[in-house]
Amino acid sequence: MTTTQTGLPTDAHLRRYGDVRDLLPGLDNPTPLVRLNQVTPPGLQLFLKLEWLNPFGSVKDRTAAYLIAGLINRGELDGAQLVEASSGNTGIALAALATLVGVDLTVTIPDGIPEEKKTLLRMLGAEVWETPDDLCPVDHPKDGAIALARSLVGSDTGTHYVMADQYENEDNVRAHYETTGPEIWRQTGGRLDYFLAGLGTGGTITGVGRFLKERDPAIKVVGIEPEPGHRLPGLKSFKEAKQPGILDWSVVDEVIRVDDDPAYDVTQRLFREEGLIVGPSTGAVVHASHQLGAGPGEIAVGISPDSGRSYLSYFEERLGEQGNPTV
Amino acid sequence: MTQASEIGDIQVADTLDTSGLLCPLPVYKAALVLKKLEPGEVLELICTDPGSLEDIPALARQRGDALLAVEDGDGIQKFWIEKGEVA
Repeated sequence: MTTTQTGLPTDAHLRRYGDVRDLLPGLDNPTPLVRLNQVTPPGLQLFLKLEWLNPFGSVKDRTAAYLIAGLINRGELDGAQLVEASSGNTGIALAALATLVGVDLTVTIPDGIPEEKKTLLRMLGAEVWETPDDLCPVDHPKDGAIALARSLVGSDTGTHYVMADQYENEDNVRAHYETTGPEIWRQTGGRLDYFLAGLGTGGTITGVGRFLKERDPAIKVVGIEPEPGHRLPGLKSFKEAKQPGILDWSVVDEVIRVDDDPAYDVTQRLFREEGLIVGPSTGAVVHASHQLGAGPGEIAVGISPDSGRSYLSYFEERLGEQGNPTV
Repeated sequence: MTQASEIGDIQVADTLDTSGLLCPLPVYKAALVLKKLEPGEVLELICTDPGSLEDIPALARQRGDALLAVEDGDGIQKFWIEKGEVA
């Protein structure tokens, strides 16, 4: 073991870091891949990539890190205030990273996002604009938060707003092409048959899908889409929302539609049978894996975007009196 | 809807000038101000984005507010919105 000038030992296994950003994932620091043993279709080996173990709590840490780095490298953040439309997770990661580089952040979020996420954003110093989806009744009905963020950029407000724009910014795809994809390839030794991810901005499925298909075109890339009016934050139904510019359908083999109820039922099973405290979009991914028609011995990797801790108010509604003592 | 000659008679509780702001920002800000008003009070709203001619009436309809009058000329749109009972 060697020591640094500060006298502290240097050894990667000690997991001592100079800055929280050193915890961001990549090939040298992949998020864990954990196998499911109960909530899994017979024969299929299903692994979840636990993105909620990222430093700011979700898969969006990757996106946010690449979005901010891109803006800084292009000089676009000089004298600017950052704005982003987010259902919470991108906003949270951006807020933490913006703080570290001394930039103010405004987040426009759809209404109905759990209080836990809004409070986190405000704790991190972000200004939170909660937006009804039907705010701009003549525009796309489910994209009020995106429209509001764009209008801040285009308006003469006296403040120079720059939008990170995870829906249109190729840095979002690059984050997954350069980190998530290579991590999965290495963690499975390239032996995977399916990759599953929810459809939201399209960043994960496009970046990972593109990377995996370049290595092995036989890998099936499966997107999970919710139904209109869903309550699966982070996912988008393209029956009611505009398709993001970065979503490349050429790397997507199949789309599986998932209703809220089975997604929440599977989420509860993941808590109770696998000990995994995951958010509802993970339940949607795992539920979809049961519809793949996978053969014995096949291997699937699904993205678990965030933790269940951000959705306690949603879960409480579904639990009713379950788990409370009866007198 | 009120005729232009009667607009001067409307008692305005608050005025919001959203000049230079693009939709849906005026809608968002108008909704915030309307939230603070008492039912029956009137917001005078000034916009410069022509999209507001569609968005603001839709906002009023949706919230259950009454759009008392609209003026449109010289690139400026003015709206007088009376807050509804339930909104």
